[in-house]
Amino acid sequence: MKLDVVQKREQKTGWILLLPALIVMLVVYAYPILRAFWLSVFTQNLGTELEQVFSGLSNYGRMFSDGRFWQSLWNTTVFTTSSVLLELILGIGVALVLNQAFRGRGIVRTITLIPWALPTAVMGVAWAWIFNDQYGVVNDILRRLGLIETGISWLGNPTLAMIAVILADVWKTTPFIALLLLAGLQSISGDLYEAHSLDGATPIQSFWKITVPLLMPQIIVSVLFRFAQAFAIFDLIQVMTGGGPGGATETVSIYIYSTVMRYLDFGYGSALIVVTFLILVIAVAIASLLLTRARANAAGVR
Amino acid sequence: MNRQPKSKLHTLHLKLKKWYQWMLLFVLSLGIILTTWIVMAQQPVVLNTLILAPDVKDLRAGMFQDFEKENPGIRINVIEGPNAANLVEDLYSSAFLLGESPYDLVLLDIVWTPKFAAAGWLSDLQDRVSSEELNAFTVQDIEAGRYRDGLYRIPIRSDVGILYYREDLLKAAGLKPPETFQDLIQASQTLQKQNKVDWGYVWQGRQYEGLSAMFVEVLEGYGGFWVNPDTQEVGLDRPEAIQAVEFLRSTIQKGISPPGVTTYIEEDTRRLFQGGQVAFLRNWPYVLPLANEAGSQLRNRVAIKPMVHAPGETSGACLGGWGFGIASNSTHQEEAWKALQYFMSREAQKRFILGAGYVPSRKELFTDPDVVAKYPYFPELLQIAEKAVLRPAIPQYAQASDILQRYLSAALANRTSPEQAMQAAASETRTLLSR
Amino acid sequence: MAIAQSRSQSKSGVNWRAIWLPIAVALVVIFFLAPVLWQVLTSVKVNEDISAVPTVYFPTRYTFEHYASLFTRRPFGLYILNSAFVSITSTLFCLAFGAPAAYVLARLRLVGKEIILAIVLIVTLFPTVLLFLGLLEIVQATNLANNFLALIIPYTAINLPLTILVMRSFFQQLPKDLEDSARVDGYNTFQLLWKILLPMTLPALVTTGILTFIAAWNEFIFALTFISQETMKTIPVATAQLSGATVFEIPYGPIAAATILGTLPLVLLVLFFQRKIVQGLTAGAVKG
Repeated sequence: MKLDVVQKREQKTGWILLLPALIVMLVVYAYPILRAFWLSVFTQNLGTELEQVFSGLSNYGRMFSDGRFWQSLWNTTVFTTSSVLLELILGIGVALVLNQAFRGRGIVRTITLIPWALPTAVMGVAWAWIFNDQYGVVNDILRRLGLIETGISWLGNPTLAMIAVILADVWKTTPFIALLLLAGLQSISGDLYEAHSLDGATPIQSFWKITVPLLMPQIIVSVLFRFAQAFAIFDLIQVMTGGGPGGATETVSIYIYSTVMRYLDFGYGSALIVVTFLILVIAVAIASLLLTRARANAAGVR
Repeated sequence: MNRQPKSKLHTLHLKLKKWYQWMLLFVLSLGIILTTWIVMAQQPVVLNTLILAPDVKDLRAGMFQDFEKENPGIRINVIEGPNAANLVEDLYSSAFLLGESPYDLVLLDIVWTPKFAAAGWLSDLQDRVSSEELNAFTVQDIEAGRYRDGLYRIPIRSDVGILYYREDLLKAAGLKPPETFQDLIQASQTLQKQNKVDWGYVWQGRQYEGLSAMFVEVLEGYGGFWVNPDTQEVGLDRPEAIQAVEFLRSTIQKGISPPGVTTYIEEDTRRLFQGGQVAFLRNWPYVLPLANEAGSQLRNRVAIKPMVHAPGETSGACLGGWGFGIASNSTHQEEAWKALQYFMSREAQKRFILGAGYVPSRKELFTDPDVVAKYPYFPELLQIAEKAVLRPAIPQYAQASDILQRYLSAALANRTSPEQAMQAAASETRTLLSR
Repeated sequence: MAIAQSRSQSKSGVNWRAIWLPIAVALVVIFFLAPVLWQVLTSVKVNEDISAVPTVYFPTRYTFEHYASLFTRRPFGLYILNSAFVSITSTLFCLAFGAPAAYVLARLRLVGKEIILAIVLIVTLFPTVLLFLGLLEIVQATNLANNFLALIIPYTAINLPLTILVMRSFFQQLPKDLEDSARVDGYNTFQLLWKILLPMTLPALVTTGILTFIAAWNEFIFALTFISQETMKTIPVATAQLSGATVFEIPYGPIAAATILGTLPLVLLVLFFQRKIVQGLTAGAVKG
């Protein structure tokens, strides 16, 4: 009997302590998404003089034939896949390096943190300067190496602009993956490697047979995080290229932002938000399934 | 020692002293409040406006300063914006979307007005201006500032697209300045064959707003149209529009225009032309004074004329320019209107044009003797300006322009055929406008 | 790993590690540091050096004019204060709301705890760009435009998931007997949290606070959308909107100076709290 009372009080206390955080998160996260679902079945734009007019699924229908939407989806896919892949490879490399014991390791780890800590938007401006066609460092280095004669217009060429943007993003987020993987590496016991090399395995074989499988949970988690972040990348591209040239680097989030803030097409923008949200949810669900399976595998290896 | 109350007189004296102190305090406070109030009332009314970075100097030192001198109670606070028109548009849009009105005077590019007006961000000036006053400007410039019978923008400077040509080269080859698209192609080919120039015709072909501006001229030249703002009819998939696209493509295919023309903006084309390698250039009037500078190899060799057209059609000059409007949420409507009246007055605009060299909006300034003395090509420009063609004055202009740019670019880069491109563009534009 | 390496070394006779490790470390350092260093150099170069072709790497002359111009042409000091105010305030809110919530999810048995935990995890992955439209409407409706609250509340929400996850793992690491004995002594949950647990998790609070501060300082899209008044802008937005005086002039010097000034607080934080930051990041992410 007394236990019930105690439990009830515990429940009440628990909820009171939880409430502020829950309310803030609900207002900021749940409301906008629900609102987007609601608004997406209305038309609210300059044609309606910003009045809301019910229009059913017409916004979604419009999305089908919207060339720019599919283009942005494609750009987003290219950007996300390339970015995350590159970051994973580089991240593992950096993590392996940081896992070694050497003098000044602490300093190197600090240096590794710096790109992650700096504002993306501010560094985006810096990258635009680095890739500048006339005065940029990249062109200068290429010229000195004799690879090119005149400055390449990085941000004026569709493919090169995408490469530049991917590079800037990889620079910014490799630290995150590297540090996550480093934590994972440090939890792998050295005995496993000893035993493996005693069996005649080279370090490379150890890497693939031991490191990668055991690191799989961290890899999947970091890929998951990075996928969600890269899919919705906004700051970097907005500041570096604005989605240009000619929409070559326009990702879905940039298109959504333009649609709402420049074209004042709120109904259509909401529909775009809903579709992006659903795509993200599906992708994360798939990744979570992989994660559970990978965790099981890791347990098996141990 | 003086504990015992003194005489009655002393008590009274003490009482009075206290009362006196309170009175003093009261009067002092009143005085402070009053002074503050008077000082506050003397504060000048501040009109805020966001101006494109390159124009800040000219406006501040010119019209704004003059206006403030004549109106000591009003100050114009200029907030400097970025160099690009679309970025300034975004800044204005963000500010107005948030509901407040940090800006009282709104600097409007010619194509922004319908959007800002439809969103309810601008005050209707229709009743404040008489039609005589409006007649001082070109019809198209005023039209661009209208939205559904209201007037929202008063122009202060204009721009028109023109065709530049090498007068010296044409004369030497015995050619007349081209009137039709065919003439242009033939003249280009002749001069190129004679090795007088590397390229015949250079224009802006990159995927940006300038592409739309350039295209409306070719469209007009073939007798086509983009969007009719009154009927919302889309003319992009008509034969005339497709012919327009084919003309542009043919300049590249025939080798008259460099293949890189699909990446050029105004400055790229100007540099090529001023380097002497090109016979014909489509650009804005700012090139002329630069070409005639001391030291330029094109000095006195360049002439201008309206854009070429198809036989039987009219030539088109795309109208650009900037004007001012008043924010509907501004708390200083009257003061802002005073400023606007000043800006649109003959004297203010004359001083502005003389100082900065922009193309005028007031027709009389094109032929004003003082102005012509400094800019002798203005009378010619007036003839072109009066034939100017507007980009569609619809609220969704930005989206429509984006659609056109994308498909036109694809056609120019040979990724799709002109028919497919224009049909897709027309269909998307119709979907856009059907809301 | 090191043990295996030394074994393979003795086998082949070549000390691979001594060769590739310094190279790898150097590459890592150069890769991560170069862009930042480039901005530092650019910020003290004179304009002639900045626009010199071929590129002048080390300044021929040093100048602080770009830093000075930041404060004369734009209210850069204000920008820094704005960023600081918003970041600190949202961090405090985050800790105030997040720590108790984390405790509940760590220790108390609550109906629906799993669901809430799942929600927190999901929200961690949420891209903020999907939220700006709904929040814009709220800002318009509540007239919070150009009000720092329009930033503080979303920033708090954005950082709450990470705060909760990190603090939760720290709470779970605390010895349970402490709490049990406190309860026996008659403490209720509130007093327990306030008087005993929080002081013990101070390092964790510091860690989380730093992460939150960095995230809030760097936030862009909400700061771009909800603040339009020049004097209230935060660093990332203000830096991205720096412009030149003529059509063709982009102020690379002042932009570089703004980059350095605007990120200096963060770099200092990283320098001093590197270890804690790494701890926090890994605790928060791995728990997923």
